[in-house]
Amino acid sequence: MQEGKPLNSRQVNRELLVSILNSPKWFFGALAVLGFIVLVAMSTAGFMINQGFGVTGLNRPVMWGFFITNFVFWIGISHAGVMLSAILRLSKAEWRRPATRAAEILTVFSLMTAMTMPLIHTGRPWRTVYWIYTLPFVPYDYARGIWPNIRTPLVWDPSAVYTYLTSSILFVLIALIPDFAVLRDRTTGISHRIYGMLAMGWQGNARQWKLQIIAGVLLSALILPVFVSVHSIVSWDFGMAVSVKSWHSTIFAPYFVVGAVHSGVSAVALVLIILRYIYGWQNYIRHEHIDALARLLIVVATGWFYFFVMEVIFGFYGREADEIAVRDLQFTVSPWNIWMMIFVGLTYFAPVAIWLSRSARRNLWIMSLACIIVNIGMWLERFLIIVPGLARKQLLTFDWYTYRPSSVEWIIIIGTFALVSMLMLTIARVAPLIPLYDIKEAEILRTEIKIGRVTVPATFRED
Amino acid sequence: MVTKRADHKWGMVVDLDRCTGCQACVVACQAENNIPINVKSFYQQRRAYQWIRIERYWEGEFPNVKAKFIPILCQHCENAPCEPVCPVFATYHNDEGANVQIYNRCIGTRYCSVNCPYTVRMFNFWEPSWPKSLRNQLNPDVTVRTRGIMEKCSFCVQRLRRGEVNVERRGLEPLTGERIPAGERTMNYRQMKEGNYLPACVQSCPTNALQFADQHDDSGPVKEYFEEANEQIETRHQGGHVDESHTRVYRLFEEIGTKPNVVYLKKVEPFPLEKA
Amino acid sequence: MWVFPDVTVMSREVTEKTKSSPKPFTIALVAAGILFILGIVGFIARAVGDGFGEIGPWGYYIAVFSMVFMVTGAAPLVSVAFRFTKSHWRRPLSRVSELFAIVGILNLLMFIPLMFLLPSIGNPEAAVGGELAVRRTIWLEGPIGAPHAWDLVGVIGVVVTSMFILWLSALPDMAECRHTATGFRRWLYSKLSGNWYGTKRQWNAQKAGLALLGAFYFMTLIFVQFLISSDYAQSLIPGWKDSIFPVIYTITSLQMGFGSILVTLFIIRRWGGYEGYIGKSTFWSGSKVLLGITLLWVYHLFAFFITFWYGRLEIEQNVLKYLVTDTYAIVFLFNLAFSFALPFAVLIWNPVRRSAWGPALAGALVIIGGIMFNIRIFVGAANAAPGSNLYHGIMEHVPAPVYPDIWDVLMVIGGIGAGVFVFLLATRLLPILAIWEVKEGALYQKWGKLLRGEYLILGKPE
Repeated sequence: MQEGKPLNSRQVNRELLVSILNSPKWFFGALAVLGFIVLVAMSTAGFMINQGFGVTGLNRPVMWGFFITNFVFWIGISHAGVMLSAILRLSKAEWRRPATRAAEILTVFSLMTAMTMPLIHTGRPWRTVYWIYTLPFVPYDYARGIWPNIRTPLVWDPSAVYTYLTSSILFVLIALIPDFAVLRDRTTGISHRIYGMLAMGWQGNARQWKLQIIAGVLLSALILPVFVSVHSIVSWDFGMAVSVKSWHSTIFAPYFVVGAVHSGVSAVALVLIILRYIYGWQNYIRHEHIDALARLLIVVATGWFYFFVMEVIFGFYGREADEIAVRDLQFTVSPWNIWMMIFVGLTYFAPVAIWLSRSARRNLWIMSLACIIVNIGMWLERFLIIVPGLARKQLLTFDWYTYRPSSVEWIIIIGTFALVSMLMLTIARVAPLIPLYDIKEAEILRTEIKIGRVTVPATFRED
Repeated sequence: MVTKRADHKWGMVVDLDRCTGCQACVVACQAENNIPINVKSFYQQRRAYQWIRIERYWEGEFPNVKAKFIPILCQHCENAPCEPVCPVFATYHNDEGANVQIYNRCIGTRYCSVNCPYTVRMFNFWEPSWPKSLRNQLNPDVTVRTRGIMEKCSFCVQRLRRGEVNVERRGLEPLTGERIPAGERTMNYRQMKEGNYLPACVQSCPTNALQFADQHDDSGPVKEYFEEANEQIETRHQGGHVDESHTRVYRLFEEIGTKPNVVYLKKVEPFPLEKA
Repeated sequence: MWVFPDVTVMSREVTEKTKSSPKPFTIALVAAGILFILGIVGFIARAVGDGFGEIGPWGYYIAVFSMVFMVTGAAPLVSVAFRFTKSHWRRPLSRVSELFAIVGILNLLMFIPLMFLLPSIGNPEAAVGGELAVRRTIWLEGPIGAPHAWDLVGVIGVVVTSMFILWLSALPDMAECRHTATGFRRWLYSKLSGNWYGTKRQWNAQKAGLALLGAFYFMTLIFVQFLISSDYAQSLIPGWKDSIFPVIYTITSLQMGFGSILVTLFIIRRWGGYEGYIGKSTFWSGSKVLLGITLLWVYHLFAFFITFWYGRLEIEQNVLKYLVTDTYAIVFLFNLAFSFALPFAVLIWNPVRRSAWGPALAGALVIIGGIMFNIRIFVGAANAAPGSNLYHGIMEHVPAPVYPDIWDVLMVIGGIGAGVFVFLLATRLLPILAIWEVKEGALYQKWGKLLRGEYLILGKPE
């Protein structure tokens, strides 16, 4: 599994820090474009808050549409971080090394972006800010002794997401300490001081390395329950609803979690391929890593498909007319059934067919395409769960309607993608997106075994 | 000084045999509760604000078509699905059996509407506005809501409160104004009718299809229907069958288990359509 | 933590151990055989006493079938899964896990009465006000042969596929021993591995075959577990519409299967003299897996519970009262304790996970937990809705618990005894360690010096 040539420390430092120390020519241009899109999206959101929700496509009964889909989507993307860095670190998979940092940072930014969605989608966001976002400082009507309703999944949501956000930020910052120290030693002036503060006096001696490893392992283990709980709780926004029959399914929690890992890991694979291309990191993000990610994705996608089939089968199992009405819309009415077929194809059959072929796994263009279609499919999945359930809520057919998103919603959705890209690009300028010490560690532990006439790559194992 | 509140349990009975679909209740509710005016575009966007709405279903094929009307309003469920899901406790069940909405707490997450099987909860998609000439028509007893707030039928709680203040606290008979002795100050149906303390829709219905009273009030019109509805639940619990062809009483979506406080009476069909 | 088996003597040692019958082994075999016979006695008594008409009295029998099915189905999956992930620590346990496939033959025998017991899908009394014409099943209106024929085909498929995997995996070992074996074993090995000469092409074909069969087995097992758990449990309790139950069933089976493997590994390491071949690394990594599965189990259970409990709908509250809070509350508490609380308390400690007895203890606890799970679910399902109540949409009365009588007790211990008995016999047939796999592993392991310390070097081909 070690196909590249051996690298020495100096080379690793020079090549991986290229994004920070010499910023490429196109960098500010790209940032400006993305920033502009984000500004447009923010003004559109402001326009929507000012005018009211009438500017969107929401109606009665479809009260939740694109924004909630987007919220669930970005929370889903955020699951890549823990999957790749925590789970693969605990199972000692060598091929995780280049992917962990990018995954963790993508997690932090997608969580932040996801949380903007519930904020703007509430009817009175100025009140929501007061209530959720300034929680430690300005309690909401607590003078009357009425605290937030902890019985609702909408309160479990921010609790879980903020816990995940806090622990992910901690995880990233602690993992970055040795790399900040490297940067501290190579910069001057204000950057030097800031990196110095972030590096917290890292000298790289044995005691500090030991603490660093223990911290990494502990944080990985502790963040795992948070990771599982976050998307479960988000899924329970829908699972707890008793009126929308197609949502009231016990399997939503693991279904959403596995779907999140599916879309998240695909997103990270895409990010890695992009990084490899724009920064020239061919020595670090090698074909073998993308290959391993693809094979992991086959397993995850199959698990996802199992949960999806279970959800649909048990939807029909009850033979309840209201649920059948929703499934009818999803599977027989155009254009919903077309979207349904596209979604299943894009999320499972097409990418898994691609990933089963070794040459396709090793071809980066095809892999990027596969990862993009997975994410399109998963976005559609959330949409097809949320909106048909609301469009055919119960059997009062007089109230059945449909949903047509307005341009306001499209702009804001595109704005969130631009926001995450912009944040990732900015961070690439500030911190290395491939962990330097992980790569150097891999080089140190790398060796070979001779078995008969064959030389097999090997690593040292510390326990 | 805290006055002891009388124990009311409000209930409404909707008689579908009497309903003609005239929408007088809809208009009365809109006038009483400061509901914004629904222009054509609101209907086309499916955002019309109607705390009570008449749903019209067609039965049969032309030329043997029949229209069926059913007024649907907030069912004030005992086991309301909208209540546990509001993050700010803007909706809760008061001790009179009604489900109430506190407008100034609402932040508009719309989860309550999503979880309501009857979709009776309305969201203010636009900032409500009235033409200048109509502003004097607004009811001073009812809050005017802004955009982003959920609202729904409250059983005209402002009228009920006025009735409770006048009859139970001050002890005054509505029509004559004489004092009611201290031990007998629970508002009954007659007093509600005379003092106009019934909800606007009930007051305005020309055929008395809507009836409203305390479920325990012997003099009120709803007690017998609620007793029968509760008996049906008991029968089902014991494992028996309820013979639906021999009773008119039913509740909407009973099988979901929301325990509504609104009972419907089936329409009696003198000329049923031939089943094809 | 790591062992470096001496490959030159390995084959001889392992085959000698396979042939020998030390006293403890014989005692265990006889004891298991007695339990097996007691189980048959219980079965016959029940068959004579209650017949096969009603499913109610057979709840415990179905629970035992499910228990055996869970262990024998999931155990081979362990070897398949960890071969797929190329985990080096799996090598000692692959044959142990695959040998459970032979115990799978019991599944086939035990399933036959189950086909007679299942109530029909169609309501024999037609549609009487409020009753469904067809009870709720995954087969909807009940196509031809459903569900008995399909379930039977499924169970046969699982057993046959797992036997195939066992054969394919044992092929090199049988080939190696076919010249030195005597008697029955010689005949069997020659028949089953006659053409194996260990050429490169054959090894590659074996590897590819194991990968493909493994994937197929995985999908088949999950599917058949979905069928069995839906037909014999979920469909029999009116009002129980639960999409996560097949998943919980699969996870419990993985837990029980893995637990059984860990217990077996501990026994053969401690008393079977295999210490030189089974290092602590297998227990160290395996215990992490068991801990993970245990946490997954409780997570899925909680997801089921909270979705049902939240809405306060009567139809769901009744199911919860029946299976969790009222009727089978004690069994549920034992289930929760043995499937989650106790194994979790055992497995979170690093020193315990690093030992051999720790994971084995946890394995034994989860097996007991799995037995409790099966009793709670299948006894509950068999007695939930007697007669025509099965065709209602909701369970209006929450029935009382059904306590086991003497025949039920005999059947339960008989089932466990039967499994142990067949497994012990199977170990006489094939070596309990996959000789070729452990030898392969030994080739990839070495001690090496790095900086100032000596560490394990692990070869990572491809």
